[in-house]
Amino acid sequence: MVPVSGNNLQANPTPGASSVSQQFSNIFMVPPTTTGNETVVVQATMSNANGRTFTGATYGGQTMTEVYQQNRSGLSQRMVCYALNQAPTGSNTLTITFNGNQFNPISIAIKSFGDCGGVGNTLRTGAQNTPHNGILTIQDESFVMMTSCSVNQILTQQIPTGSNRFFSQHNTNRQVAAGALGAPTATGFPAGDLDLQATSTFGTLTLDRVEIKGLSTAPLNEGNFFKLFI
Amino acid sequence: MIIISKIELEGTDNLKYTDVGYTEDPAVAIQINEDYDTSLGKFLAENRTKLMLNQASVSTFFETTEFVYEARTEVDMIDGLSLPIITNINEL
Repeated sequence: MVPVSGNNLQANPTPGASSVSQQFSNIFMVPPTTTGNETVVVQATMSNANGRTFTGATYGGQTMTEVYQQNRSGLSQRMVCYALNQAPTGSNTLTITFNGNQFNPISIAIKSFGDCGGVGNTLRTGAQNTPHNGILTIQDESFVMMTSCSVNQILTQQIPTGSNRFFSQHNTNRQVAAGALGAPTATGFPAGDLDLQATSTFGTLTLDRVEIKGLSTAPLNEGNFFKLFI
Repeated sequence: MIIISKIELEGTDNLKYTDVGYTEDPAVAIQINEDYDTSLGKFLAENRTKLMLNQASVSTFFETTEFVYEARTEVDMIDGLSLPIITNINEL
């Protein structure tokens, strides 16, 4: 079952504290087929100056799973991804915490997905000359999220290569492409290696990608278990 | 849609963000962000290193300014957030 893409939010605040909070509505323009299979995924980037690291995240009071945390020493940044399966629906607070006060701007992208099997494969590659090409091996019917960081302005996030996706250009003392999503609504992407590309005006940029899986089997919470006996 | 946040001092040394409205007019967001960039944004840029090393306090800025607004949060849907639409900066 293909995931349903829900709400999208991109923010670029300066926390000025050891945490940052953001209200986010886990809601859908097109209702998911199933209930209880909503996933909220967060990608964030901030300066690692003074040894700053991400120490955790909660959504609606529930602890999110850290999918990855990547130090980009050459760019003096840290990039992280958090996910929460069976996330509470409606309006809730996302809170990201650090190991000290952060007075540099942080880039945050939050997305919600319904009929979602959670985060699948992820791959991260450090700064390479533009165009930065990469692949992500995914299952059938998946979506892909992507983000990049560069000293220079980021021009494109292509999922797959050749298909430019919307993103927000954030400033974290570096340039960050936040919120790129490849989501073929009806079918998702087919299983296999998906070609991806990110470009900047010149120089190098990173390429981090995350698979958003569909539901692999019909969920019991839709009542299918009982339908077996009808 | 762009969410408008009110930024004020929390405690002695932290920033507090409160979402106070949203706008669909980019001109409103630009005006808010220009005010931010020339006030708190300028202070943070000039003092960032000292702030990170606890050699300066953001409370210094708020000695002369009670709060500022910023409008740099883009979102597809705001249902459930109970935020009013802002069509003019004077409505804040």
